[in-house]
Amino acid sequence: MASAALDVVELEVSYGPVRVLKQVSLAVAAGEFVALLGSSGCGKTTLLRAISGFVSVAAGRIGVSGRDITHLPPDKRGMAMVFQSYALWPHMTTAQIIGYGLRLRKVPKPEIAERVRAILAMLKLEGLGERMVTQLSGGQRQRVALGRALAINPEILLLDEPLSNLDARIREEVRHEIKALQHKLGITTIHVTHDREEAMVMADRIVILDAGQIAQVGAPEEVYNRPTSTFVAAFMGAGNAIALDVRPAGNGLAIAAGAHNSALGIAASDLGPGLDAGHSGPVVAHFRGEAARLGPVDGPGQAWPSDHLVLTGRIVQASYPGGHYRYAVAVGDRQFMVDDAQRLSVGDAVGIGLPVHALHLFPADPQKPGG
Amino acid sequence: MGAGPAIGHRHLGLFLVAPALATVLILFVYPLCYSLVTAFVAKEGGFTFGNFLRAFEFYSVDIAFTLVIIGISTVLIGLCSVAIGGYLTLGENPRAVAILKWLYRWPLFIPFIVAAQCMRTFLAKNGLMNNTFVSLGLVDPINTISLLDWRGIIITFVWKQLPFVALLVAGAMASLDRSTIESARNLGAGRLRILVEIVVPQVQQTLMVGLILSFVTMMSVLSVPIMVSGGSPTMITVDMAFRINSYGDYGTANALGFISYALTGFAAWIYLKRGVSQGGKP
Repeated sequence: MASAALDVVELEVSYGPVRVLKQVSLAVAAGEFVALLGSSGCGKTTLLRAISGFVSVAAGRIGVSGRDITHLPPDKRGMAMVFQSYALWPHMTTAQIIGYGLRLRKVPKPEIAERVRAILAMLKLEGLGERMVTQLSGGQRQRVALGRALAINPEILLLDEPLSNLDARIREEVRHEIKALQHKLGITTIHVTHDREEAMVMADRIVILDAGQIAQVGAPEEVYNRPTSTFVAAFMGAGNAIALDVRPAGNGLAIAAGAHNSALGIAASDLGPGLDAGHSGPVVAHFRGEAARLGPVDGPGQAWPSDHLVLTGRIVQASYPGGHYRYAVAVGDRQFMVDDAQRLSVGDAVGIGLPVHALHLFPADPQKPGG
Repeated sequence: MGAGPAIGHRHLGLFLVAPALATVLILFVYPLCYSLVTAFVAKEGGFTFGNFLRAFEFYSVDIAFTLVIIGISTVLIGLCSVAIGGYLTLGENPRAVAILKWLYRWPLFIPFIVAAQCMRTFLAKNGLMNNTFVSLGLVDPINTISLLDWRGIIITFVWKQLPFVALLVAGAMASLDRSTIESARNLGAGRLRILVEIVVPQVQQTLMVGLILSFVTMMSVLSVPIMVSGGSPTMITVDMAFRINSYGDYGTANALGFISYALTGFAAWIYLKRGVSQGGKP
């Protein structure tokens, strides 16, 4: 991809004998906002640090606008990074920190002052230029760190979990601010996060990493609605998993009725990318608690629309996280978390209704019986 | 009633502190006060400034010499400790960093008198250093010079005190948030620039404390100036020993001691002032 602002090709990184990134390839277009999403230890920060030059690469190539930067030191890469801890220098004022990169580039002093003033205004930090960073709040420090990175007009902006130290309310605000700012400035941005919602809200494209490999790349709607693996499905919130049996039927599949589930026919067009229409045998179905509905058990399939898979179970735990109730429902020897608006009691027998589009089907892993 | 146990605790506290307090009072405060007082007492008795007049008349060059020697040593120790700490923190050759880390502390375990003896054999006109230069063909034997003078004292002081300050400084640098270094690197700063503009300002309190403690230590060393540079000018400690051993002149020796206290007291005042401003941190 000659037009890619950032091109990572078959990248491999090792820490001693442990290979933490395996054959990672990723192309990021100019002006794109890409989130690297994954759980702790999946290699997302290592990928960011390899791109920024703080981690040496065992194999593969990193290119920026066609230039090979794989072995350039970090100070020669023209990227700017916002660190998780903000990494602000406690002996400097806000203005000195924001202007530091410009000073390194030997920009004349009046020009630095003007640029710093503009950055302070853009980040709503007016009047804080002469303040030491130790006197700023968490949110303000986060903005200073962002300002320092933006001041040098970087080709690529790298964000290493920059919101994880903020409290929940400020974090939501800053998410939208950063997204709006990135959109306005058009800077190619790579954002590392373990927060699914943060990635969904901010990114144009999400890269999900699992054990040092890319599990799936796609727009937020795509990775959310069309996960290609059980890992992505579970990571994107479809944590409930049930083992089912399917066989080909017509141009789609038929789920066989089981001890705790109704039968259901699925058209090929309703199948996700996880399963082929011709599949036959055990599968695992992932679904989100908020995509399910709870209802009475009056014979599986009878009181429910025909495009619903119905699981029969009993409520074993109830809680109210706000806006709806959350129930733990025991179905056979498994428990599922399901959200519902109606108030039910522990011990109630219920049916869990799953619309066909809420099911993410994958061939059953022989290593994990029962999904 | 809670007063009984509280008083009991207070007495117990005093009892526990008593041995340390007695040691300080008997071995430090009493001799200090005694020498300070006798600095103002004439040989025949009675108050006098004569000891100070004599001290300045005979030894003002040595007082200045002491300050210059220790001042230069302190500056060199500061620069070298920053260089060592900086390389340990920012060095990119893991083997070189490991070797430096292993080597630099050694002189810490060598007493001043042994260090002085080492330097005598190393820095003399026909010492190890010159012999090595001659055997490498860098210097003609006839052109070798002895460094057993003020330069030798500085070299010995720096060699002996550098590990102590470097240990403190390298420790402080190692405990910095690594990302503060990486963020400067990321913006395009080279390693020397990062050391000067990012790392040193963050460890300057520790560096200052190390240098002040070194300054005070060097002020009190007798063996090094005696053994490395016997001639004149020399340091205050040598003059004090000379006044006592040759003339039994405790008055002038104590006046020189008083001047020494004043100089180290000034350094200690800076140290304590910094300690207070940091809320009691060392």
